[in-house]
Amino acid sequence: MAVRIRRAAGRANWGAGVATIVWLAFVITPLYLIVKDSLQTTDSYLEHGPLSLPRHITFSNFADVFDKGFTRYLINTAIVTVASAALTMLLAFPAAYAIVRSHSRVVAGVFRVFLIGLAIPAQATIIPVFLLITRMHLYDSLTAIVLPTVAFGLPLSVLILATALRDVPRELYEAMTLDGGGSVRLMWSLALPMSRAALTTISVYSALNAWNGFLFPLILTQSDEQRVQTLGLYNFQGQFTSNTPGLMAAVLLSAFPIFVVYLFARRWLIAGMAGVGGK
Amino acid sequence: MGEQPLSRRTFLSAAAITGLSAPLVAACGTSGPGSAKGGGKTLQAWVLVDQAQNRVQNLAVDAFNKSSKAGKVKLLPISSDGAVYADKLRVGMGSPNPPDLFFNWGSGSIRSYVQVGGLVDLSQKLAADPAWKKSFLPSVLEAGKIDGKYYGIPLRGMQPVILFYNKSLFAEQGQKPPATYDELLKLIDFFKSKRIQPFALGGLDQWPNLMWLEYLVDRTGGPSVFENIAAGKPGAWRDPALLSSLQQVRDLVQRGAFGTNYNSVNYVKDGAGLLFAKGKAAMHLMGTWEVSNQVDRHRAFAEKDLGFAPFPSVAGGKGDPNSVVGNPTNYFSISSKSAGKDAAVEFLKKEMSDTAYVDALIKTGDVPAVTGLESRLSASPTPEFSKYVYQMVQKAPSFTLSWDQALMPQFKTPLLANLQKVFTGKQTPEQFVAAMESVK
Amino acid sequence: MTTAVPVARHRHARTTERNSDRGARPGALWVLPATLFFGLFAGLPLVLVAVLSFTSWNGLGTPEFNGLANWSRLMSDSSVLDSLRISAILTVLSWAVQTPLALLLGVWAAGRQRNRTVLSSIFFLPLLMSTAAIAITWLTLLDPNFGLAAKFGRYLGFPDGNIIGSPRGALACVVVVVAWQFVPFHTLLYQAATRQIPQSLYDAATVDGAGRVRQFRHITLPQLRNTIVTSSVLMLVGSLTYFETVLILTAGGPGSATNILPQHMYMTAFRDYAMGYASVIALALVALGTALSLLIVRFSGFAKMRSTLEGM
Repeated sequence: MAVRIRRAAGRANWGAGVATIVWLAFVITPLYLIVKDSLQTTDSYLEHGPLSLPRHITFSNFADVFDKGFTRYLINTAIVTVASAALTMLLAFPAAYAIVRSHSRVVAGVFRVFLIGLAIPAQATIIPVFLLITRMHLYDSLTAIVLPTVAFGLPLSVLILATALRDVPRELYEAMTLDGGGSVRLMWSLALPMSRAALTTISVYSALNAWNGFLFPLILTQSDEQRVQTLGLYNFQGQFTSNTPGLMAAVLLSAFPIFVVYLFARRWLIAGMAGVGGK
Repeated sequence: MGEQPLSRRTFLSAAAITGLSAPLVAACGTSGPGSAKGGGKTLQAWVLVDQAQNRVQNLAVDAFNKSSKAGKVKLLPISSDGAVYADKLRVGMGSPNPPDLFFNWGSGSIRSYVQVGGLVDLSQKLAADPAWKKSFLPSVLEAGKIDGKYYGIPLRGMQPVILFYNKSLFAEQGQKPPATYDELLKLIDFFKSKRIQPFALGGLDQWPNLMWLEYLVDRTGGPSVFENIAAGKPGAWRDPALLSSLQQVRDLVQRGAFGTNYNSVNYVKDGAGLLFAKGKAAMHLMGTWEVSNQVDRHRAFAEKDLGFAPFPSVAGGKGDPNSVVGNPTNYFSISSKSAGKDAAVEFLKKEMSDTAYVDALIKTGDVPAVTGLESRLSASPTPEFSKYVYQMVQKAPSFTLSWDQALMPQFKTPLLANLQKVFTGKQTPEQFVAAMESVK
Repeated sequence: MTTAVPVARHRHARTTERNSDRGARPGALWVLPATLFFGLFAGLPLVLVAVLSFTSWNGLGTPEFNGLANWSRLMSDSSVLDSLRISAILTVLSWAVQTPLALLLGVWAAGRQRNRTVLSSIFFLPLLMSTAAIAITWLTLLDPNFGLAAKFGRYLGFPDGNIIGSPRGALACVVVVVAWQFVPFHTLLYQAATRQIPQSLYDAATVDGAGRVRQFRHITLPQLRNTIVTSSVLMLVGSLTYFETVLILTAGGPGSATNILPQHMYMTAFRDYAMGYASVIALALVALGTALSLLIVRFSGFAKMRSTLEGM
């Protein structure tokens, strides 16, 4: 019996094998081309076609991209990302803790509001968000990007945290209360450490969201000083025109920081993203 | 209270402080776009991003700032995308701090602002300074009028739409640029038989299609056809010249004048320009900026093989074959809410027809809308072309502005989308007219 | 999703428990910062959209009330109906393409074999790129004369490379680009969920003589039911975020072949400058997203959160 089970599990799945190779080709081709193109000169690219290998590897495209101000865009994006992730955690955690622990009907109602808020698409509110930001005298600032980005990410973050906190056994709270702890201490010393995984998830999720955000920067900023990397890329299309290698170098640079994180902390990153839909 | 590892608390607090203060520090939140910053008057001049043009504009700005006492000008290039620029401009004009000076295409692009009293009427200033007024080509200055008043001063070169062709390709094949529309059709058939795409067309961007319709309507029915449309006269879209031109466009497409994949070819990212420069397409109907683009990106082709000709005449057409369509120029206009109106007017008076500024424009390949340039145009990188354009505009009885800039904003998207559908055969000319009539 | 507030209040609660309970429960004040923030930057705009929908405003000056004019215009506007139709087609197509792919890939990736882990880390790479970067890259590839479309178009039925310029091709492009971008994410979901399926179920089935396919149909699929619903809801609400892809890739074209509802709203607001009318379209968007999410959740019994581990 045992032998039969083992053999069944080990039998090669040719169908899956072929399918994964096809999928691999599909996923990898654009990625390969981004890297390959960015190392090629424009003349070589135009002369020999999109699939041609570079005759001489060049890094001048990357220099070009930085010359056009990409460093500033990356810095701006980093500021927005850190601010968004931090603000999200600061706001979502106490709220999630209260939702799980509070007896208040108000809190229960708030939870329902956040649930409904999950379904609000940000694009539908861009006109009033723009109005609001201008009236607050925040137009064309990085703050303007952070505020709505965090706001629309709150429902999901609160949900994930609340789900995780729900698993913390009531006995632990009671034990600590007997020790003489108030709500703040309970949250800080008990709930916080117990929800590390969920905190990781939402920090990864909101950071990635903020790094790659495009719509709010598009509507709420305009000057070069406040430009983030996605907008920078968008503008580069009109500046690089037929210089595809240059444009691809910019694309590569825009994803590079995340890629570095991926290399060193792949599990953390993946766990973060999986956690979003996992529970 | 209890023991808490210092690291966790410190980390979170630090994160909080950094998170909240960093954007506030970096943001320097503005009270809306175009806000003047403290101190003496700084006038914000918004322009389109265009490296060559911005360099020249900064020359004028620096020259003015050196000697100006009324205020300093600061150039702000906003975007290289015309649509995005127009967007941001509208945001700015609707805010309490609009830009003091801004680049525009005249006509429909600024009509909304005129309607709310947002622009300074320059008619009196021009009348009071005849030398200033006379320094500009009259037809171009007139094109910047709205309801009989002047709202814009030309800031760069004239951009009529020209029929460009590949000189060496034509010579090889023993062909000449077409003088009549019938010759054009014959050329198309000829190149098709040689498996060369007759015309490059950036159909993906939609607006290059418009140039064909504009010229055909102008040649067939004269400039009054579009004047009626722009004035909103009832039934203006039903003009027979428009219907027949749409039909001719369909005919061109079916003949293969633009190849088959033109609808995926862009212009703004040099898709069509590249096709043309590489000799894969024999001709290209485009504005004069095509020359500076080609000079910038495919210099060898631009210097040796870039030929130019007027759009052919149409047999039996009411329009003058010397008329042109395109962008007469781009203008600087002044916001009525500007705190430095006088300084702004001074800037425009001093710099826009200033010798140094105009000569710098000429060196970029632009053909400024200024009088008396004949000899100075030799300094252009393409002197033959520059002189040709200059004479062409002076000779032209009418210069019709690109339709998508001349009409009010709500017409732009339907116009371009419906025209594209006519090109691809998804809409008949009658349906096009009906669709455009339903736009309010 | 049922409320997470602890409901059990035993009548016979010990006094000590009650006392300690009272002291240690957070009050409504705890949710105030988050609620205020969300209310101000997400809730208030939603209310404003509704208000703006009864005005006409072109971005200059102040909005003017025009009663139900925008709403009646919506009823007779064929371009909005068109956009709705295109949005629906795109959403359904995307779901039909992404779900089977993500499911199969997720199940495959759940296996612990070494080669699967290595390949999976490559498969997840698209997750790192922004929508803008992805759309810009694909747009470059789709140039019919100088991009990949020129070389490979003929194998896809477009011998002249005219993919993005043809209505069907453009729609297909959007579906493909979106799939490239989001299948990895949903694969993650399915992978995580598959790993939680108890091996004992499979062992029992193998003992009973069930082959791979039967095991998949009768064990894997049912166990993944909750995940399929989650993934589908995310896909549905997320299909509205295809807007960024469409904006950069096709701008709604050619003609209006890919003019999905968010794109149409954007153009109405920022090209036509009809902000009031655009707000009506925006409201329609919100209503649609909410309604569909609620529908799926209701019909799938998700709300009752039946455990897939029932009966173990």
